[in-house]
Amino acid sequence: MEEVNVTGAVCPKPVLIVRRCLQELEPGDELLVTGDYPPAERNLRRTCYKHGFGVTTGPDDSSDAFQLRIRVSEESALEEDA
Amino acid sequence: MTTDTPRLTEYAAVHGCSCKVGQGELSSLLAEGGLDESGDGDELLFGVGEDASAMAVTEELALVTTIDYFTPIIDDPYDFGRVAACNATSDAFVKGGVDNVNALVVLGLPREIRDAAGEILRGLVDAIEGMNGVVSGGHTVLNPWPIAGAAVTATGAQDELLTTRAVSPGDRLYLTKPLGTQPAMGALRVRDGEFTETVRNAASRPVDAVGTEALAWMTTPNRGAAEAALDAGVTAGTDVTGFGLVGHARTLATNAGVGIELSHLPVIAGTEPLSELFGYGLADGESAETSGGLLLAVPERRATALEAAFEERAVFYRCIGRATDGSGVALDPTIEPVQR
Repeated sequence: MEEVNVTGAVCPKPVLIVRRCLQELEPGDELLVTGDYPPAERNLRRTCYKHGFGVTTGPDDSSDAFQLRIRVSEESALEEDA
Repeated sequence: MTTDTPRLTEYAAVHGCSCKVGQGELSSLLAEGGLDESGDGDELLFGVGEDASAMAVTEELALVTTIDYFTPIIDDPYDFGRVAACNATSDAFVKGGVDNVNALVVLGLPREIRDAAGEILRGLVDAIEGMNGVVSGGHTVLNPWPIAGAAVTATGAQDELLTTRAVSPGDRLYLTKPLGTQPAMGALRVRDGEFTETVRNAASRPVDAVGTEALAWMTTPNRGAAEAALDAGVTAGTDVTGFGLVGHARTLATNAGVGIELSHLPVIAGTEPLSELFGYGLADGESAETSGGLLLAVPERRATALEAAFEERAVFYRCIGRATDGSGVALDPTIEPVQR
């Protein structure tokens, strides 16, 4: 499973970083995202929901950090950003 | 500051009104502190649960009191001060406290950029004086995240005050600024080259132009909108800030025991694709707003008078929905890009 850590990245960077990672993955792949502040988690979950990615809470989710496991499927799609 | 100095917004992980704690967390906190039940009564006309508190000080007059401060939404310290002043006074204005505006500045800065304090303060003072208010003091501390704002008092007629409880089914809802400050300012923070092109390609307008317009809206005081509301006899309203349009509409719905239907969202032109890129939820009314407009509820029979009062003062307005006899907030909007 691919992993990315967006801890310390100032909004809106966490979502931009994760989008770029997801665009490089294939259906069936998973991305584990670790981050440290709640608005980034909300924005990531919203992005996943809008674009058909599966998202569940990762194993190391805690009060000081969040972890999301994002699944790429045949249905999920992010247009190329650049 | 030299170009090597980190920008003001880089000192904080969350910016402007998005640094508010969430609605659920705030409710729990109030319950923990024993503040979840209304303490209204006698001289206190209203308090917890409203944008500001109001206390009767004479037979006719109420003293409206509020405090609001937040992290930088913009790098220019003077502009940060202006936005902070407009945001802090808005809570008093929307409750009907528009006269005798008196502000005590709240300021906190990291040690290494405390030179910026003078400019932030100048922005605050200029903005408050522009609202015929006075800055009468304040408190400044060293703090890891920059913060600026004010404790504000103002007066209003007791029988003209606005609350979030006075919405009735059938009322029309008006919004007095377009939405989209968060994606507009977020785009300005992406300046390090790595994602600049991504943002530029996603944007439908130059991000600097979008940012300039957002700043103009954030530094527009809500006093004119509040005066128009008072003129037209509006008795229900709140302002739109960190909880986003839907969050603040939900406050109206809950406190008044009505449903809210939102059918039209005016947004700063160019902010919708940026919001989509950043996952901010603008088209769903979920994007945090900084120094946003007033959300006013008015009975149908007073709507024409309210629109006339807005126009007399050159205040932006859109009718964005209505109150129903249901509950909660329903959203199925047309989206209107607005350019200043």
